[in-house]
Amino acid sequence: MSHAIEIEGLRYRAGSFELKDVDLHVPTGSIYGFLGPNGSGKTTTMRLVLGLLRPLAGRITVLGNRLPEDGPRMLARVGYVPEQPHLDSTLTVRELITFQAAFYPTWDRPVAEDLLRRFELDEHKLFARLSKGQKAKLMILLALAQCGELLVLDEPTDGLDPVVRRDILTALLEYVSQRKATIFISSHLVHELERFCDWVAVMDDGRVVTEVPMEKLKQGTKRLVVSGAPPPERLGETPFVVLSRERVNGATERWIVGNWEPDMTSYFERVGASLVDVIDLDLEDGFVELLRSFRAARA
Amino acid sequence: MFDGIDARSPVPLYAQIAERVRLAIATGALGTAAALPSVRQLATELRVNPATVVQAYRDLETQGFVEIRHGAGTFVRELAPGRRARERSHHATALVRKLLADARRMGVSLAEVQKAIEDEVGVRTP
Repeated sequence: MSHAIEIEGLRYRAGSFELKDVDLHVPTGSIYGFLGPNGSGKTTTMRLVLGLLRPLAGRITVLGNRLPEDGPRMLARVGYVPEQPHLDSTLTVRELITFQAAFYPTWDRPVAEDLLRRFELDEHKLFARLSKGQKAKLMILLALAQCGELLVLDEPTDGLDPVVRRDILTALLEYVSQRKATIFISSHLVHELERFCDWVAVMDDGRVVTEVPMEKLKQGTKRLVVSGAPPPERLGETPFVVLSRERVNGATERWIVGNWEPDMTSYFERVGASLVDVIDLDLEDGFVELLRSFRAARA
Repeated sequence: MFDGIDARSPVPLYAQIAERVRLAIATGALGTAAALPSVRQLATELRVNPATVVQAYRDLETQGFVEIRHGAGTFVRELAPGRRARERSHHATALVRKLLADARRMGVSLAEVQKAIEDEVGVRTP
């Protein structure tokens, strides 16, 4: 499998914040969701991917270009939407589009005009006077009209109203259905990512908690209701990963497990326990449980 | 046809989409030679990954329900007689299995479920 972004052993430090041995592999053509609490290092990782920050150690390859040497060549093929707009607020929408277009030989004017119309942006309006939603739409327009093979989107829809979010998602999904581009997107809107990401990575405190195909994460993470299980010290080896276990009442416990497969139910008979129920978790539950067990293991 | 596609369900989205199409074919909502929505259209409408729609359509093609004509679109194939009825009965079985699993989870007995069905339908089973 080829990767649009490959990160190995990445380290970075700024003040007390640190990225520690980050490894990420974003498959070409995937929509890759980047999850993590505020301050976990998502934005910093994205800025490193774009060559905007220099790592202390590690290897970053983007669209086959090694950073930092090939940075400029890479940037011509990557659309970036930062968390905070970085545009000159004294220019109008039209001026910003003209300005941005000048940097990219691949600029697609019809795409820009089409999005301008569909996003109902007033081309004469100053950037400073745009609403939050209009600013977000303009940022997306600029990233898409550039026709990059990779889009790096840092929380592009967080904090926006549902109508604007839907307009932006529609534009993104149309873009990938026409061009086979790769999207590397961070967001706190887990249910939104759940609909269209094929891969997810979870970060916490500057480390990668997990990197996994969405389907595997969702099908492999379950809440089990178990009765009569041996205590943790006598549990021995389990065919799945026990992320947490807590007593509900009497001999009944609630377990959160990873890497679960349907045929693992027989394990409980072997250890003399009984499996009362297997409950599916959605991405948000799975994400929260993963973080909780990751933190507990490090505490 | 695609109302209530649930991204939070553990059933993958491509499987949910394929199932909706099979059901529409089985009930006749989609007749022979009917066109399915384009990948781009359905992906944006459902806000899912275009690759998810492609996978659903490919699975439907493998199962013999549709034909993908490159550049033209995806169309419902002519089905062998009885295939629609078989597909409907397959869905009926799936519905009952889900009902029974839910009942077990909620602690409702089989006899109670059976009585409720009889009351709703107005027919007693022997």
